[in-house]
Amino acid sequence: MGVMRISHVSLRVMDMEAAVRHYENVIGMKVTHRDGAGKVYLKCWDEWDRYSVILTLSDRAGLNHMAYKVETDRDLDLLGARIREAGMAVEVVPAGHLPMCGRALSFRLPTGHQMYLLAQKETIGKDVGDMNPDPWPDDKRGAAAHWLDHCLIYGELNPEKGINRVVETYRFMTEVLDFYLSERVMVGPDSSIMAGAFLFRSCKPHDIAVVGAPTNGFHHLSFFLDDWKDILIAGDVMSKNRVKVELLPSRHGITRGETIYCFDPSGNRNETFAGLGYQAYPDMPVITWTEEHLNRGLFYTSREMIESFRTAYTI
Amino acid sequence: MLLPHGAETFEVLLRQTGERFVCRLGETVLQGMTRLGRKGIPVGCVGGGCGVCRIRIASGVYRRQSPMSREFISSEDECQGIVLACCVSPCSDLAVEVLGKMGRALQAGSAAAKEPSGLFDYLSEKRHGCNAD
Repeated sequence: MGVMRISHVSLRVMDMEAAVRHYENVIGMKVTHRDGAGKVYLKCWDEWDRYSVILTLSDRAGLNHMAYKVETDRDLDLLGARIREAGMAVEVVPAGHLPMCGRALSFRLPTGHQMYLLAQKETIGKDVGDMNPDPWPDDKRGAAAHWLDHCLIYGELNPEKGINRVVETYRFMTEVLDFYLSERVMVGPDSSIMAGAFLFRSCKPHDIAVVGAPTNGFHHLSFFLDDWKDILIAGDVMSKNRVKVELLPSRHGITRGETIYCFDPSGNRNETFAGLGYQAYPDMPVITWTEEHLNRGLFYTSREMIESFRTAYTI
Repeated sequence: MLLPHGAETFEVLLRQTGERFVCRLGETVLQGMTRLGRKGIPVGCVGGGCGVCRIRIASGVYRRQSPMSREFISSEDECQGIVLACCVSPCSDLAVEVLGKMGRALQAGSAAAKEPSGLFDYLSEKRHGCNAD
């Protein structure tokens, strides 16, 4: 019941040809649809729904919207009512509004980001099929990401003005959409200000994360890989393709994930992320990171801040 | 000026610090600036999307190589020579200044910009350079 997982992100890109090349050759996705408006839809080999990334040509980079999938159509009624009860505007958009999807709920998170909840999206199957399948397809490309794993958004945090979109989003996600908190970053006097929330509905450390920043923004979308070796191969692929690598292969303290970060040609940050870190269950005690350990939490291997990780983000 | 392999190059003056760096033909201003190898070089996404490397080109001729996000560079900005350093390459010698907090950090010779950025460094000063064990 309720939200199962991330379904897709819709990204703005400034050079469609370069973007498609990146998501195909570097991340290893395949184009599964192009619509009349020029939007391109892609999926990873291990995903079964028609798409997990939509690319839209724009004069700026960043996020159009993100969509999460719920288990049943009835969940849309239940969650729609709860969102309304929470005093937030929510719209039911008809089937087809999101291409090849059933009806969906549309609303904005406290960070201003547009989110959809959908129950049905056209299924085309994994590349290895579902009848006596092989473990991986023969035409893997690039980093050969398994699936879109999560995204991280920035929420405005300005304690002096009493603004904390992180804690508002955390409350909304947990109280209204029944997400669970796996890890949190607490800063300021007595570590009383929530500056980061890692939230899950599945059994992995996060399906979405929200972190504090001067303005709302989009930080990254992350793709899943099996293990550490695949992270190193992803690094080879990024370098082969002359992609800007921001963080060399490292481990996160937060979530324990093994990671490498790069940017797509329009400056949207991508992560390829391996190792589930741990199994997250609703009864797991919440992990807390305090401000003086933040560098360790983010970049466990080096324990040093990467300046662009803070300063560079899209809308 | 010619490099040993014959590539045409241009000299770029960084007004804040008086430093000069060389860009080969077709290289972006940011690629050249990065070779200065000092703190405070405004490197962000290097794709025109994040706006970190906003500069003003005070003099010289340049060419836009790739699209710049309208979120950070308006058409009025472009008329005034305000561009993203990762998206333009010199066609002559240039004089440039880095804008915003990165420009001030560059001037101070420090990457520690004092204005808010992501990941809450504005909540306390103590965190800078602190790698707790």
